[in-house]
Amino acid sequence: MIRFLLKGLFRDRQRSLLPVIVVVTGVLLTVLMQTMMTGILGDLIDFNAKFSTGHVKVVTKAYAERMDQTPNDLALSKVAQLKEKLQTEFPSMEWVPRIRFGGLIDAPDSIGETRSQGPAIGWGIDFLSAGSKEAERMNIPKSMVSGHLPKKAGEVLLSNQFAEKLKVVPGDQITLFGSTMNGGMTVYNFKVAGTVIFGSGVLDRGAFIADISDVGQALDMPDAASEILGYFKNNRYDKIQAADAVKKFMSAMNTADPYAPVMISLRDQNNLGEMVDYEDLVSVMIISIFVMAMSLVLWNAGLLGGLRRYGEVGVRLAVGESKGHVYRSLIWESILIGSIGSVIGSVIGLLLSLWIGKNGINVSGFMKNASMMMPSVYRTVITSPAFYIGFIPGLFATVIGTALAGIGIYKRNTAQLFKELE
Amino acid sequence: MITFKLAFRNLVGAGLRTWLNVFVLSLSYVVIIYMNGMLDGWNVQAKSDMMNWDTGQGQLWQKNYDPSDPFTLQDSFDPIPADFNTMIGEGKIAPVLVTMASFYPEGRIQSILLKGIPENQKVIELPTASMTADSSSIPGLVGKRMAEANKIKKGDVITIRWRDRNGTFDAADVLITAIFETNVPTVDGGQIWIPLSRLQKMMQLPGEATLFIRGKSDWPSFGKDQWIVKDLKSLTADIDQVIKAKSVSTSILYLILLLLAMLAIFDTQVLSIFRRQREIGTQIALGMTRGQVVRLFTLEGAMNGVLAALLAAVYGIPFLASQAKYGIPMPKASNSMGMAIAEKIFPVYSVGLVVVTICFVMLTALVVSYIPARRIAKMNPTEAIKGKIQ
Amino acid sequence: MAFLPSVLFGQNPSASRIIEQIDKNMASKNRIMTATMIVHGQRDDRTMEMKVWSEGDKKSFTEYLSPARDKGTKMLKLADQLWMFAPSADRIIQISGHMLRQSVMGSDLSYEDMMDDRKLTDVYNAVVIGPDNIDGRPCWVLELRAKTDDVAYFMRKMWIDQDRNIPLKEEWYAKAGKLLKQTTLSDVKKLNGRWFPTKMIYKDMLKTGGGTEFVINDIQFDVNIPESIFSKAALR
Repeated sequence: MIRFLLKGLFRDRQRSLLPVIVVVTGVLLTVLMQTMMTGILGDLIDFNAKFSTGHVKVVTKAYAERMDQTPNDLALSKVAQLKEKLQTEFPSMEWVPRIRFGGLIDAPDSIGETRSQGPAIGWGIDFLSAGSKEAERMNIPKSMVSGHLPKKAGEVLLSNQFAEKLKVVPGDQITLFGSTMNGGMTVYNFKVAGTVIFGSGVLDRGAFIADISDVGQALDMPDAASEILGYFKNNRYDKIQAADAVKKFMSAMNTADPYAPVMISLRDQNNLGEMVDYEDLVSVMIISIFVMAMSLVLWNAGLLGGLRRYGEVGVRLAVGESKGHVYRSLIWESILIGSIGSVIGSVIGLLLSLWIGKNGINVSGFMKNASMMMPSVYRTVITSPAFYIGFIPGLFATVIGTALAGIGIYKRNTAQLFKELE
Repeated sequence: MITFKLAFRNLVGAGLRTWLNVFVLSLSYVVIIYMNGMLDGWNVQAKSDMMNWDTGQGQLWQKNYDPSDPFTLQDSFDPIPADFNTMIGEGKIAPVLVTMASFYPEGRIQSILLKGIPENQKVIELPTASMTADSSSIPGLVGKRMAEANKIKKGDVITIRWRDRNGTFDAADVLITAIFETNVPTVDGGQIWIPLSRLQKMMQLPGEATLFIRGKSDWPSFGKDQWIVKDLKSLTADIDQVIKAKSVSTSILYLILLLLAMLAIFDTQVLSIFRRQREIGTQIALGMTRGQVVRLFTLEGAMNGVLAALLAAVYGIPFLASQAKYGIPMPKASNSMGMAIAEKIFPVYSVGLVVVTICFVMLTALVVSYIPARRIAKMNPTEAIKGKIQ
Repeated sequence: MAFLPSVLFGQNPSASRIIEQIDKNMASKNRIMTATMIVHGQRDDRTMEMKVWSEGDKKSFTEYLSPARDKGTKMLKLADQLWMFAPSADRIIQISGHMLRQSVMGSDLSYEDMMDDRKLTDVYNAVVIGPDNIDGRPCWVLELRAKTDDVAYFMRKMWIDQDRNIPLKEEWYAKAGKLLKQTTLSDVKKLNGRWFPTKMIYKDMLKTGGGTEFVINDIQFDVNIPESIFSKAALR
């Protein structure tokens, strides 16, 4: 029966093509909506995750208690070993150490004496290891105003406004003057590689980012880091998995030592817990509305399909096919159309999401400046619902639409059939 | 007018199919208005929170003052202009003195801002009147965020150290008399508010201030060399930027929704033109020009927009109105964006927003209806009248 | 016994005389010393060695000898200006403004504390408030109150060894009367014919932590220091 119907569908384009196109388009839009929604709604959480909290974060116990002060003297030690341990224990996550600190940036004159100075907030992130995603993660490449990303040791990015204040341009040397992890003094030279816009007043007035190994050297933090951030590989915060990771990590931890590492999930930082739940709720609401709307559309398409084939059904009834048989065949057909359409639509939708997730939709034309804190590129994020959500409107709504439209079959009067066909 | 009536009757006559389309389209209206209303409401709210807690109706800054650079503070004060005194006495202008200080949560030194403001000020909502204590300790206020970050409770006594204008170290205990809750991070994080008179005395800066916050009344005369006017627009410029970013992202969402509604209309149009060839042929045979028929069908499709607007009004107005009345609850947000997010946002729907949305959706419906209807113009009426598929 | 009447009648020696005596004992035209500084941090201790050349109160030049990380770092103070040279960066950095308030090498001393070079009697009115004793040694307690506005510490208390004319303990107070910092001096030795405390412990009283220990390993008074050492050229 299915083979017969399939043949019918393939041979009779009128019967299949438009309905399938409609289902495909609808399913595609649903999938796209879902991934886009997930991407956009999560942007505040995402932003926090990328800049400060990670999806989970590992710091020392003492650091965790005073996280707001970013107390570097309480930083993690034996980071390489810890990172390796994390990577083995939690292979589904990417682990990146970072150093956050403050210091004075000093620009020299021609004889190496102080020409201009300014206080700055600093980040040490992994620029230089092969395959590091840190620069992308912090949206640095798109926020560059001049110069290039640090490509070798000793290079640094300054916030653009700060560079202007210090009167330095890419290629110039600047000196970091600050405290080492254990309170000593440090003086360390960097070469300005480029300038960026952060998009936050405070940071734009004084911030810099350098490779973590440089910063580690400058701050006398060999094999140490302020924090190790963990990111799920799909770049999406998953509260259940994060909670599991924390539980697993903490159960094996010695909590008496104030310098023992502890793991904290995103939701337990910066009051983000409520935000996470809220965004889940909003996302479910919006997607439900959308799926409902889509279902109505495809239901309608099912109704239209019934109408389209009014004549055909008439003939079939006239030549003696039972009403039930016709009805069932229509339902089967709609199941086929719905399935084919949903599969194709989901595949195209996912591919498209994948592409947008990779390249992003650039809306910088609508905004004044691209900056790190306010990305002008929106990305889709594919989560598991993206794989099945399209089937709800695509398959079920199509079938329901057809089933409702098909009821009309039972109302048709055999005696009138030929009259209708005239 | 006949065309209009006819189109309407044809459309409504299609029953369920039409109403499904109309409902989906009506969702677009409601969602677009709702989302934009929410953003506008957020904008209004964030600005009014800023005004109520931080900026007042405008500020006057000592020329060296730069809130992003605390090291400018040691040179950022001047005597309060004489003409200000009456209004300050009445609480209509609040002079604020800002200085750096250290405090010692759990024995670790931390830099904070110490801000002095008159107890009787009426321009911002800080509960300054609750800064009362006996003369032995200094009464102070902190925001909830600051309190949570440093584990400060009401009634706690915290030691602060500062240096007066001459650089002499001084230290004293501040009694926290109130912890205030605000959405505005710029008056909360990393700062302690104390009475202006106390801070002036502590700093050896009698009669001086760093900035002024005004209420509704205008500035009295002041020295243009020492003071710079900061109007509301410049003080709240960051909010506009954030809202703009948000509005771009939400428009992507409702564009997809709109696309969906259009898919529905398109599909319906294609079918009705296919099914009603005889009707079309007859109409042309009876003397309607092809253009008129195209118009009729386009109008029929576009009428979806009108019906949708009516339907949207039926359920949308109560919904939108209740949201505007009771507010949309928002999560306790982190303020990494540095802007105020209230616990509830009350959406604001402007006439402009509603009109633009209606026009926008109608226009789209019109275009989507027209595209399939164009086929009519190519039809051969005699073939059409026979119902032959073309 | 000659001492007895003054105690009986509540008469203390004049504070200015005591300060004069301290100056006489401790001051010198110049000095060169090597010292060890131990910072007791929360997590671990850090030890640094340095050599200091100083002339009067206005000029001093410090070179760090260890640890390896800080070796060759030099600091020059001329009156109210401070420069630092870091060999690793080959840079001379002027430390000014708010930077002066930072701690030196993580210690309980700020650059500013090191910079305060005015004569006690120029800045403070001193009175003797009574006898006391520290570790069994009789002391006079001096209370110094600022007479000018621009001092970092409004009030100081000093415990002066009655026989040896050296301070054994010092307390720095905020204007409102809170104790901010405390110094204890010990291991008093006779060097070049004068008594000199060779160990000092500085403690910021508002912070937790073990304070900063400063031990003089070797000190020479009134030696020949070439004037060129107190110049920026000597930093490099």
